[in-house]
Amino acid sequence: MKKKIIMSVFLASSLFADAELEMVKKQLAKQQEIIAQLQATVEKLSKKEIKKQITKEVQNEMQKQASVNTSASFSQNAYLPDIALILNTSAVGRDISNDDYLNLAIPGFIKKGTIHLPFNKDRGFNLNYAEVAMHSVVDPYFETFAMFHLHPDEFEIGEAYVQTTSLPYSLRVKAGKFKSNFGRINSKHQHSWHFDSQPIIYKALFGPDSISDAGVQVQYIAPTDSYLMFGAEAMQGTNERSFGDTSANNLYIGYVKSSLDIGDDLSVLGGLSLAHGKNTTHHKTDVYGVDLTLREQLGSYSSLIWQSEFLQRDKDIGTKTDKQAGLYSELIYQYNNNYSTGIRYDRITKNDTDLSAYSDTHNLDRYTTMIEYKPFPMSRLRLSYTYDRTKVLDGLRKNTNEVMLSLNIAAGAHGAHDY
Amino acid sequence: MKKIILSIFLLSVVLSANVKIDTTYSTLGAIAKKIGKDKVSVTVLGSNKYDPHFIVPKPSLLSKLRRADLLIINGGGLELGWLPPLIRNANNAKIQNGAKGFLDISHFIPMIDVPTSVSRAFGDVHSQGNPHYSTDPHLVLTIAKAIEQKLEELDADNSLFYQQNLDNFTKEWNDYLSILDAKMSNCQDKKVVQYHELFNYFLKRYNIKNYGNIEPLPGIAPSSKHTIKLITMMRKNNIKTILQDVYHEKKTAKFIASKTDAKVVIIPHDKGATGGKTLQEFYNNIVDKICQ
Repeated sequence: MKKKIIMSVFLASSLFADAELEMVKKQLAKQQEIIAQLQATVEKLSKKEIKKQITKEVQNEMQKQASVNTSASFSQNAYLPDIALILNTSAVGRDISNDDYLNLAIPGFIKKGTIHLPFNKDRGFNLNYAEVAMHSVVDPYFETFAMFHLHPDEFEIGEAYVQTTSLPYSLRVKAGKFKSNFGRINSKHQHSWHFDSQPIIYKALFGPDSISDAGVQVQYIAPTDSYLMFGAEAMQGTNERSFGDTSANNLYIGYVKSSLDIGDDLSVLGGLSLAHGKNTTHHKTDVYGVDLTLREQLGSYSSLIWQSEFLQRDKDIGTKTDKQAGLYSELIYQYNNNYSTGIRYDRITKNDTDLSAYSDTHNLDRYTTMIEYKPFPMSRLRLSYTYDRTKVLDGLRKNTNEVMLSLNIAAGAHGAHDY
Repeated sequence: MKKIILSIFLLSVVLSANVKIDTTYSTLGAIAKKIGKDKVSVTVLGSNKYDPHFIVPKPSLLSKLRRADLLIINGGGLELGWLPPLIRNANNAKIQNGAKGFLDISHFIPMIDVPTSVSRAFGDVHSQGNPHYSTDPHLVLTIAKAIEQKLEELDADNSLFYQQNLDNFTKEWNDYLSILDAKMSNCQDKKVVQYHELFNYFLKRYNIKNYGNIEPLPGIAPSSKHTIKLITMMRKNNIKTILQDVYHEKKTAKFIASKTDAKVVIIPHDKGATGGKTLQEFYNNIVDKICQ
């Protein structure tokens, strides 16, 4: 066998030029030397009758050979993307029937029957979604991310985009369908929010998906000591609550975000955002956003977060420009890696539009409180109570109370979240 | 005027000669400074007060990463929970994983405690092995060599300078190690328990046996059932030392100590975590506390 191999190596090498022949000869000599050495050791060892050691050496030799290459010739296992399953389910108690809940309106923002409720719709049990998230490096220039949102009765590509990793001048470009970086909470997925429900002003202006569209995004980080980022986005503008004139792409978004640290443990992040688009009446809509987040780190696993956003929309509907605004402010206390608690206040602060269909539209606000338990960073149980005073049922104010227990898990290769 | 322009020019030359290094933890930063000296500027991203697994990815870290020429990470999964989104959002091509300015030190370390099977059912297990290697003073030179090679690659003009620094540091460190090893030779065969498997490299180096952890599973908070088991085990084996880190709660360790007459000693996991500015003070702190 050995001879055969040597012969075949020799034969093959004889096809090459003389210089190479010399080299191969040398190599051959070396190989023979190694074989001789190995044989000598084997003899030595067998003389001493240490059978165990011999088998060990043989095994080592076999392993060495094995590590050369025994993989399937076209195996691509090493290139599989990171895949994660995110599942959200809840039990809900509410003092309004399911039918009435579907017919609630928010005066000036959402008309009766047009409220879109993908999450926690029913009293009793809800399976909100099972999302499949994928992330992978594409090549030395791009990475890609996709979120397949699987809901009991619909399939949606939540996000699917490509972004650059190696542009010069601190630039990054993203293209595909993605959540805009407008404001603070807009780009975050539901499972990473501090509360299960969306802030009222986001729901009122943009609906449950917030600003999420096909488009492109460019971001630039300034070479300053404290964080300063500028971003611009061009999007299709399919969101009909605020935009929706899709005869051509109509939505342009710009923002600046900055952060500084005060001491070791307090960080402040602020942002100014502007979204300019065309609404379904073919007139322009401008949305302005201001956000501020303070985070005080109290230990490795303990922190205090205060996050607030204010949004104002100027929507030209041809005859006049509706001016509407609202805010939310939330305070989250993370006690340790298992427990945290929080409160949130939501309010519509300005509602300068046609409200003739409603008898009482003052003090539209909402209170939410929650306590959550995380046995491990991948799973979370959250108990929340909501007192909602922003809703109207058939022209009359309908305040609702809601208690909810939600369970969220992120299993598999789920990447760390942004700040 | 000319002088000003000239000095600005010179200053900018001096500044541009600098390799801007970001390291995830402070031990790595101190070693990088030993090799790079005044030709590098070193920024440490993760505070040594906090659990190295859970550094808060503050936006201010983005502006630090944005400027870096070289990012040195511990690796072994220790930064998995906080660093990837920062690298993604820092818009710096130089420090992307796989780029020239990205150095994962764990690739140079013979990792211990490599699990044969990995599942989150076993808690926060690192598939590449135990990532807390920087507590072993004998690995400092391995780290220094890796950093020196990388600096030569990035800043070839100063390669002799880096080589010289490595040579000097190697001598200095070997002298220090012989003192340290002599000290530790009196402390071998000690028995300890620890909170998290944070000091395994150090313990293995000096033949100190770790009998158990206060955490029932890596990354899982202590349970009363597990604590009682640990107390029984400690009594049976006559274990009198509990190694506690600076960032976990200390109540459980104190409770166990009160039931077993053991002593709780707070051991730094990273340079400066329990005071002291130099690498030697860091390892002295570990040795003095364990060896007392």
